[in-house]
Amino acid sequence: MSGALSLRPSYYMALKRLTLELAGVNLGKDHTFLIETRLSALARKEGFENLGDMIHELFSRGQTRLAIHVVSALLERANRFFDDRKGFELLGDQLLPALHRRYRGKKIKILSYGCSSGQEVYSTAFLVDRMAHVFPEMEIEITGVDYPSWALEQAKSGRFTHFEVQRGLPIRHLIEYFDRDGEDWVVKKTIRDCVNFTDHNLLSNTDHLGTYQIVMFRGRMRQFSPPAIVRVLRSLSSMVSPHGYLLLGTNEGIGKVNYGFNSVPVAPGCFLKLSDKVRPSEVEDEMDLANPYEKMLLQEKVVKKSLKEITSGARKEPVEAPKQKGKPAA
Amino acid sequence: MLEALKTCLIVDDSKMIRRVATRILRDLKFEPSEAGDGREAISLCRSSMPDAILLDWNMPVMDGLSFLKALRKEPGGDDPVVVFCTAERDVTKIAEALEAGADEYVMKPFDSDIIESKFMEAGLV
Repeated sequence: MSGALSLRPSYYMALKRLTLELAGVNLGKDHTFLIETRLSALARKEGFENLGDMIHELFSRGQTRLAIHVVSALLERANRFFDDRKGFELLGDQLLPALHRRYRGKKIKILSYGCSSGQEVYSTAFLVDRMAHVFPEMEIEITGVDYPSWALEQAKSGRFTHFEVQRGLPIRHLIEYFDRDGEDWVVKKTIRDCVNFTDHNLLSNTDHLGTYQIVMFRGRMRQFSPPAIVRVLRSLSSMVSPHGYLLLGTNEGIGKVNYGFNSVPVAPGCFLKLSDKVRPSEVEDEMDLANPYEKMLLQEKVVKKSLKEITSGARKEPVEAPKQKGKPAA
Repeated sequence: MLEALKTCLIVDDSKMIRRVATRILRDLKFEPSEAGDGREAISLCRSSMPDAILLDWNMPVMDGLSFLKALRKEPGGDDPVVVFCTAERDVTKIAEALEAGADEYVMKPFDSDIIESKFMEAGLV
């Protein structure tokens, strides 16, 4: 393997900036390898001859749909079933029984925010199914949201490769909850009927998503830039109903601002929602809200504008890294 | 004082698979040993029962399922954690393996991440 990179250096900078602008995610130092591997696979799926052709199409025509899929592909995680297992133990042993006692007879709603290819959503559905004999009347609705992407389409289909079903999934779960279909495994319809998935830009307004008793946002915090984290945590706070729980990764926290949650975690990474309101000053003290991410809704005109600005930079070689602190150079 | 490594017997008629599995298991801090078929594996288990067994299904002389049924009848044969590692992907075959006493099941081809994940499921890592 030659190790030669197939894109012009300016395109790497442009893609890095596109991801930061649209998703608030900083790809980090090793982004060239990430871009090559993930976007080459996406280029094949999208029917391009090679990665270069796809990137040229992206920046020359400014396709919104392609831009979203490119950014989504760069953000995909290495997913496994029952990832960060302690979180699922907490869910099954404490959170769901507590919510069941509080909301007896009412539906409990769970949201997986940034669900990618759906392993977290289905793992939760398997857990709930196994609790049915203890809480037969417990009714749960599980929703997964993420950027529109191939990964989200996979989540909706419930179809996984033989490699994917062997990561984190006990064999007894596999034969109980999946049907084999050729080389792949497909989640049984009875489970798929209990979950739903929605396209959503994680940085955009969440009002239409409603409220939930449990919001899961696990293992993604370190991926986001500080302004994006503030924005996401504010959104998550608005979606967790009072007395509900925010479930982060067991090594993750909410920082200095409590966003309406009890700052003392119920368990590592798990925060109880106390009130319905967050004092604006709390957030403003920590972060200047006039940052560009506040206005960053994934709408046609915003994507078009970003692509246009980035394209003008990408065509000039070499492209220097933005020098303005806290704000990408136009 | 150093803790003794857990032992794992790799039972597979493919030398290549045994070599790959040996490397993965060493990385997982196991002390691996090898057998090319079920009969050889039974003999090795009688002299020293391993903590874990990574077991192929289709082998000459004695296949994996016959070995597992024989193993569970041996003194101390209930102790090893048995992880099937086979190209068999049929649900009825998997269920048959679990019924016979397998603790986990790996479908070939596999990688180190899958072996680690399955050994975690089985409480070995």
